[in-house]
Amino acid sequence: MREYKIVVLGSGGVGKSALTVQFVQGIFVEKYDPTIEDSYRKQVEVDGQQCMLEILDTAGTEQFTAMRDLYMKNGQGFVLVYSITAQSTFNDLQDLREQILRVKDKDDVPMVLVGNKCDLEAERVVGKQQGANLANHFNCVFMETSAKAKISVNEVFYDLVRQINKKSPKEENKKRIKKPLTCQLL
Amino acid sequence: MLVRGCAGSEFRHSLAERTKALAAKCHALRSPAHQRDQRSAERRRTKNRKSQTRWYVKQPTWRLWGEERVDGAIYTVYLKKVRYHRPTRSASSESDDEISHLEWETVRVRFVKAGTVERLVEALATDDGELESTYVNVFLATYRSFAECSRVLDLLLRRYEALAMEDVHPAAIDTSQQHRKTLVACLHVWLDTYPEDFRQLPHHPALQQLLAFTQLHLPGSELHSKVLQKLAVFSAERNGGAAGGVCLAPGMRVAAHHTCAYRLPHVPHRHFAEQLTRMDMELFKKLVPHQCLGAVWSRRDKDRSHDAATVLATVNQFNAVSFRVISTVLVEPNLRPVDRSDILAAWLDIARELRVLKNFSSLKAIISGLQSNPVYRLRKTWALLSKEKAELFEELARIFSEDNNRWAQRELLMREGTAKFADTVGENDKQLQKLLHERGSPGVSNGTIPYLGTFLTDLTMIDTAIPDTVADGLINFDKRRKEFEVLAQIKLLQGAANAYHLPTDPMFDRWFDSVIVLDDREAYQLSCQIEPPTNPPKERRPKKLNDNNNHGHRKNDSIASTSSSNSSQFYCETDGVGNAWKRDSLERRISPTRLSHGSSSSSIPSLDVSLSSANSGQKPANGKIASTSPAHPNARSGPDFYIIRVTYESDCVETEGVVLYKSIMLSNNERTPQVIRNAMLKLNLDGDPDGYTLAQVLPDKEMVLPANANVYYAVNTAYNLNFILRLRKSQQEEAIVNGKTKNKRT
Repeated sequence: MREYKIVVLGSGGVGKSALTVQFVQGIFVEKYDPTIEDSYRKQVEVDGQQCMLEILDTAGTEQFTAMRDLYMKNGQGFVLVYSITAQSTFNDLQDLREQILRVKDKDDVPMVLVGNKCDLEAERVVGKQQGANLANHFNCVFMETSAKAKISVNEVFYDLVRQINKKSPKEENKKRIKKPLTCQLL
Repeated sequence: MLVRGCAGSEFRHSLAERTKALAAKCHALRSPAHQRDQRSAERRRTKNRKSQTRWYVKQPTWRLWGEERVDGAIYTVYLKKVRYHRPTRSASSESDDEISHLEWETVRVRFVKAGTVERLVEALATDDGELESTYVNVFLATYRSFAECSRVLDLLLRRYEALAMEDVHPAAIDTSQQHRKTLVACLHVWLDTYPEDFRQLPHHPALQQLLAFTQLHLPGSELHSKVLQKLAVFSAERNGGAAGGVCLAPGMRVAAHHTCAYRLPHVPHRHFAEQLTRMDMELFKKLVPHQCLGAVWSRRDKDRSHDAATVLATVNQFNAVSFRVISTVLVEPNLRPVDRSDILAAWLDIARELRVLKNFSSLKAIISGLQSNPVYRLRKTWALLSKEKAELFEELARIFSEDNNRWAQRELLMREGTAKFADTVGENDKQLQKLLHERGSPGVSNGTIPYLGTFLTDLTMIDTAIPDTVADGLINFDKRRKEFEVLAQIKLLQGAANAYHLPTDPMFDRWFDSVIVLDDREAYQLSCQIEPPTNPPKERRPKKLNDNNNHGHRKNDSIASTSSSNSSQFYCETDGVGNAWKRDSLERRISPTRLSHGSSSSSIPSLDVSLSSANSGQKPANGKIASTSPAHPNARSGPDFYIIRVTYESDCVETEGVVLYKSIMLSNNERTPQVIRNAMLKLNLDGDPDGYTLAQVLPDKEMVLPANANVYYAVNTAYNLNFILRLRKSQQEEAIVNGKTKNKRT
């Protein structure tokens, strides 16, 4: 099964963690434990193909700026999240994207721009068109989501999987994921 | 109404147990006087049922029984099997008659799962009026997310008054008194543990309220004098101005009799590590754990930034250390590569000392600095590091791997968190093994400073995933228990941090402050000045620099001198196999065309104005900053080697999950028999090379190499260079009979 490393980036308070939790666990799970090994892993089927998604959520560590490069280096696909209720979170994404391109040393990296909290229409300050324009500028996909109301959450991740597949097809890797491989020195 | 237990009971069970254990530990650390509460409360509870039993309680086993709902609260009910052991005769002066011969019984225990604030305050004392120390700890550590200090205090005091006024049945008078005592004990714990809650400038209303209460109900009591004392402290602080809070920069206070200044790379590593630890320790001890809670930290905004000030201070220090790494490596563009690599080496030496000191915060900060793009991309500089240093970097970086939800660092913290010394190394951590062996057991014990980010992420996730309230709007107290598990760990480590005894060096502080901090772009531009962007991109990193998983990459000039027989060069390929394979495929996917990647390598951006201005007025970075860097070696059109991985496969005895492989060099004139011979040598196989076949593993098939092919040109470089070595069918049986197949693969 192919494995996908997806990094969720964005300012604090935009609901990154909610997107991740909603996608991986479904919210309101009493059993939730963020410290276990596979808290951020989910197996899904996209276009008839089984995929293992490993989500790296930067929630809580946004301000450890020096660590972003490593996240970016390890990630294959990126979810750039802002909140439609806070203009500053939208503005912050330009820099993040530049940093990704720099670290990846590429012009084209699998990416989805996400305007989260679209259930809070009354508090909206970032228009849908603004988001679409930025996505156009980034040359990437744009979606408005609500982790709380479960709107378009899965689609974000599925789309990234498709983008990654498109950019680097047939990289099927036949290896086990469930069971960590042990090794032994000869 | 009763609700039967359901799935998740095991989880709850372990949750309760873990919280209890952590709470007890952290409680003991903070105030040894309360250490026995946990057990004595338990003992007393059983004593009430069997008043004559003085047997030692041991090995309770818990079973979820169900939920119990009352007005305003939901409880989780467990049945606990309590076993009694007969004390030794000498320990007991009682006669045989007084001892119950009960061996075990089942006790019903309730934990608050959810409730109104009133109910939660009531639950500070158990049904018997006993102090439930775990609950009290969880409550006091987390109540801020559902109620104000004044409200909780108010409820607590009113509860006391209600109990005092209650017309109780004579039989229950003990319980009522015990209940009040417990409430007073809670107030003590609160005042001792969270004095900040009572600061409330300028008039300390909560403390005043408490004073009035003690004057009325408990005049002359310990609590009363404690309140008076706290009031005196607060007002002294207020009058004394900055006396207590602000710590003047040490550099300002001490006469500057040191004239020499530190200058990397020639600095005392151990000393630097100690000084960084001293800085971290001061901040970590000041950290207010409940500021890490998701409700506070992750929901912070500009207006509320002070709510998480102590967390922010820690984060800022972390970044400051990373910035210093980046800056010192890059700031002088005209350094000779070898001098620059000495600076990398110096930071690695400091990082190594931090590992010994168990300071995971600065350790990670340094590793992050080294892994930041502007530093990490300096291939030529990295290539000049000695093999030992490169290994060291690998090993230290592995501690902070994101793989499996940061399993490595969680595990390490669990093992060493409150241990005296660093003593945990992986079996593949050669350099760290050597280090700990050299040091032996140090004379002084060290504390631990964790990397806070992991806790912050965990708490953010808990806050997101678990709702604040349950049905009917009751406060979800189970969420608070969950959060407390993390907070208790932090508290535990804070206690352990007291073990550090580190002197202050003002000169170090001055050095620390004097380092120029570069922003993201400046750093990148400087980096490009030092080593212009090459083509193909930088995922192609020398093997020994952390991209050890990147197989089949071509060797570049800098390490091309190593001969193919030098096996130790590639030592790291035999560890973390699972991850190696994973990441390998990942990187291949990221840049499937990296060898033919066409980007402009000629347009080297010269430093722009922002950088020059950033440097103006500070220590000049270097006058010749904008000079063009030395021409980098002509881009190689084709490499001379590949590095391939060979696994030996036999059909016998399958060992689940074990993969053994060796990396070998494949040069452009090697034919199949030679490659097989090389592989056999590495894999410790004897016999005739003709008896084996070699095949490349492709996604959907295997490509068996012809008997005398030039392997270098035959391999499919579009895929990972993973190979399987196999006995030819006829030889295979013979080999099994001879028992030579020591190497297995599933």
